[in-house]
Amino acid sequence: MIRTQEYNLNFGPQHPSTHGVFRILLTLDGERVVKAEPICGYLHRGVEKLAEARTYTQFIPYTDRLDYLAAMLQNWGYVMAVEKLMGVEVPEKAEYMRVISGELSRLASHLIAIGTYSLDIGAFTGFLLAFRERETTMDLLEELTGSRMTLSYARIGGVAADAPDGWLEKVDKFMDKMPTCIDEYDGLITGNEIFQARTREVGVLKPETAINYSISGPSLRGSGVDYDLRKAKPYGVYDRFDFDVPLGKNGDCFDRFDCRMKEMRQLVRIIKQAIQQIKEIDGPVIGKVPKVIKPPVGDAYAEIETSKGIIGYYVVSDGSPKPYRVHVRRPSFINLGYLDEMLRGYLVADVVAILGSLDIMLGEVDC
Amino acid sequence: MFGKGLVKGLEITWKEFWSPKTVIQYPEAQNPIPERFHGRFVLDTDKCIVCGMCANACPNKVISLKKQKVGTKQFLTNYVMNIQYCMFCGLCVETCPKDALHFSKVINMNQYFYNNIPLVLVQREAPAEQVEQEKPAAKPTPQLKADALAPTAESEVAASKASDKEGE
Ligand code: SF4
Ligand code: SF4
Repeated sequence: MIRTQEYNLNFGPQHPSTHGVFRILLTLDGERVVKAEPICGYLHRGVEKLAEARTYTQFIPYTDRLDYLAAMLQNWGYVMAVEKLMGVEVPEKAEYMRVISGELSRLASHLIAIGTYSLDIGAFTGFLLAFRERETTMDLLEELTGSRMTLSYARIGGVAADAPDGWLEKVDKFMDKMPTCIDEYDGLITGNEIFQARTREVGVLKPETAINYSISGPSLRGSGVDYDLRKAKPYGVYDRFDFDVPLGKNGDCFDRFDCRMKEMRQLVRIIKQAIQQIKEIDGPVIGKVPKVIKPPVGDAYAEIETSKGIIGYYVVSDGSPKPYRVHVRRPSFINLGYLDEMLRGYLVADVVAILGSLDIMLGEVDC
Repeated sequence: MFGKGLVKGLEITWKEFWSPKTVIQYPEAQNPIPERFHGRFVLDTDKCIVCGMCANACPNKVISLKKQKVGTKQFLTNYVMNIQYCMFCGLCVETCPKDALHFSKVINMNQYFYNNIPLVLVQREAPAEQVEQEKPAAKPTPQLKADALAPTAESEVAASKASDKEGE
């Protein structure tokens, strides 16, 4: 008589395919996953607690370190919450600068997502090509802010600095080139039959489940749920741009990946429109804010659509120059909630594919 | 037809193979560093009015400065940045009212020894006609505490004892 038994496998925390220090305790029956227990916390730095010992402005650089691949979007979410708390008016030009730098950040993040995903599946060329354009994006952001990843560009009431001379033209030129690059990724990765065989019908997430688990971002839209904050509850100046929200059909890994790919095409459109519109605007890039930021007693919650999903910042003020409490709703963490059930029944090789398709950022998961 | 996508991918790879190289060989070649780059700090000592605003703006308490009163003016004697805690966020540079603190384009800040990491921007003696010694404006970070704060703490204790005596 042959007797079989289940066994445990530690996936991570030092596994390259976990995209950081993330551990999944897999219970396997042969090659099939029976149970998966996500274990996070390896990158916990207590950012929320650190905020309580910093002034409102001083906390901005820490938000960079939540999602360092799209730092501007994190900055933006936080300053929006403080602005809401204080009732500060943001100048139009600053809003446009936020859109341009924010969308560039989103582009950098999506390029990593698709590049590393193709690497997870085993295609190396796609990874290199995606990183080539990411490098250009980072160069542009570096020219604007001085840093490549941790930008700290947003300020309460606006942004840190205006665009340098000729920067907008450079971005515009890059955006002209971008669609052909995306065509290349499409030809190289999306159209590849092996890639499709590995990702289609794998890790299916039903729309109802996605909503019930509060999943957001491209992972939600891959299931066909049309919910993008930029369209659903436009913040900043997003109501002035013409763009579509790409949706998937089946909610499998391929659809989530494809959503990101199509989203890149849309953000190219947004940036091009923003550059056209910002040229007609003159004015400051930072509004009238007091030197010492002391919001009135109260609380505010602001949320924006980042590359990973909906990030929300909840800021409580007790009237002092330091926040009483800051809480962050981190999309990467919440998107992981369904991982266990998503992995059940699939092979070990699919674990990498499913985890990669969720595009988590460990800085954000562990906060 | 199965395999069409693979062929297309190979075509793209073939095309890329002949396209100009985008990778450069660092350190022989280097990308140009932009104007706003967050590199090593430089302090324009003549412009600095020793207000300590940079030290207060810093989220990580990287900057510690010491001053002495010379005549009616404050004189900067020590300006040390514990660069190992610096996030290169630029808040200090932005806050400086006199534009004295800047980023430079120097990227190489490597050190062999831990003790050499702090970036000493100013370390000098005050001119002779000093009147009285002031307490440091910013709290020195733990590194400096051992050697820099100890005498101050002692003198503080001594001062409080002295005042106690006066009370009696
Ligand atoms: S760059 Fe930021 S962390 Fe570094 S010294 Fe200046 S304020 Fe402090
Ligand atoms: S803020 Fe500027 S002027 Fe004031 S102490 Fe710092 S460097 Fe000197």
